[in-house]
Amino acid sequence: MAVVSVENLSKRYGARLAVDGVSLEVGQHEVMGLLGPNGSGKTTILRILTGYLRPTAGAVSVAGFDVVRQGRSARQRIGYVPEDAPLYPQMRVDEFLEFMGRLRGLDGSKLQAALAIARERLGLVDVRDAIIGRLSRGYRQRVSLAQAVLHGPDLLVLDEPTNGLDPRQIIEFRDLVRGLAKQCTIIITSHILGEIARVADRVAILLGGRLLAVRDLSHTRSICFRTRADVADRVEAVLQTAAARLAVAREPDSEGMYRWRVQAIDEPAANRLTGELAAAGMVVVEATANSADLEETFLELTTQEARR
Amino acid sequence: MKVLRALITKEVRALFVSPIAYAVAAVFLLLNGYSFVMTLALSKQATLVHIFFQSAMLLILVVPLVTMRQFAEERRGGTLELLLSSPAPEIDIVLAKFAAAMTLLVTMVGLTVIYALVLGYFGKPDWGPVYSGYAGLILLASALVSIGLAVSALTANQIVAAVVSLGIFGLLWAIDSLAALLPSPIDNWFLGLSLLARFTPFAVGAMYTSDFGFFISVTLLGLFLTVRALARR
Repeated sequence: MAVVSVENLSKRYGARLAVDGVSLEVGQHEVMGLLGPNGSGKTTILRILTGYLRPTAGAVSVAGFDVVRQGRSARQRIGYVPEDAPLYPQMRVDEFLEFMGRLRGLDGSKLQAALAIARERLGLVDVRDAIIGRLSRGYRQRVSLAQAVLHGPDLLVLDEPTNGLDPRQIIEFRDLVRGLAKQCTIIITSHILGEIARVADRVAILLGGRLLAVRDLSHTRSICFRTRADVADRVEAVLQTAAARLAVAREPDSEGMYRWRVQAIDEPAANRLTGELAAAGMVVVEATANSADLEETFLELTTQEARR
Repeated sequence: MKVLRALITKEVRALFVSPIAYAVAAVFLLLNGYSFVMTLALSKQATLVHIFFQSAMLLILVVPLVTMRQFAEERRGGTLELLLSSPAPEIDIVLAKFAAAMTLLVTMVGLTVIYALVLGYFGKPDWGPVYSGYAGLILLASALVSIGLAVSALTANQIVAAVVSLGIFGLLWAIDSLAALLPSPIDNWFLGLSLLARFTPFAVGAMYTSDFGFFISVTLLGLFLTVRALARR
């Protein structure tokens, strides 16, 4: 059963149509990315999903509850990290998390247990008594994520969660999101393709409030690496056993080097493959996961749309 | 009820952490204390009527400072999105902010009870007008807070919220003077809307059901408009 169901959703701000007839379904434990330039309607869709905005037309349900007619029940099943992770700067971390927990009906030992799990999982134990306004951007983002997962939601909604984070914090945050994906459905927005490509299972591409396409990222994910040309046959042999069902492309790179690309592979599998190549005595000069296909798809779709 | 309690606790803490609460209370008590001492020294009468009128005027000036931040700051800081996307009902969010503002104002007004105790210790005041005066101040404060909250819910700018609230309070306070220029029965409508005309009986010791009804109706209307302002999104 779909955890999120969006049917023909539209939202109008005065004369401007911010979301135009979007339909979408997101399944259990799926990570769905919403991708689009600024003003494409990503945040508006999330705000409607979380009950902050009312739709002009269409139907949206979360965990089977209509977000307008059964708003409280739907909101009870959602965790939300809005853009820029707004928090109460004068509150202490634990005080804020307790407050958010109580708003979602947690109390007594249940609340204390949920707080302990959230603190532990998000690395907030050391800052539990800190004043939020004095925390770094990365910690504030963690606090915001902690309040969103405190009540064990069916759906976690993250709006541009890596905005303003440094590269190290982005990697940490990505790992946190991957961990959370095992427990709930996640919808995440970004205007950075690479970010979406790394965490999402599927991506919905939006432009001007319209849904252009939904792409399964398992087909667009790939790993690229370079090896010396003289070990090409041995690399082929390893790939045939390790990545037999995956599409492999090989092309000459700089002098004496080959560039390899293995399609539809996630990062853990890529790491395993690199390890196997190294164990077979081959030197992988460079290994990078890339999202070139997603970039191409995105550019192609948005260019087509712009020409209309 | 648990959600409402959590919201009230958070709002009361937020208000009392802010220096605005202490500045407002200090100025309110300083000016009232000064008036009390001067009037008592000059008139030698055991009455608080002048304190009630002065407190009412001060409430008109300080309530916008208390209510301006309530929703405007949440909207500007983005935390309104957190509140409204939580399962907490809008009415609870509004009632919590109302309760927090009233806690501060009732505390402020309550501290002036010391003047009544001084009068009772050294003289023989007529206690009827003292009780009704305090009832009038609390009712006036609740009406002003609910209007201030409705204005705050409509804007993200605290200064705009304060100025618009002050304008509405000033107009409602003195709208009875407009009645003299208007024909009957329209003049009565304006007289009926005047905060001054409704408050005066309380200050001098006369309590009418219609005045109670007026302040309670304005309070409920203000709270209703605040909820509607939040729901309009």
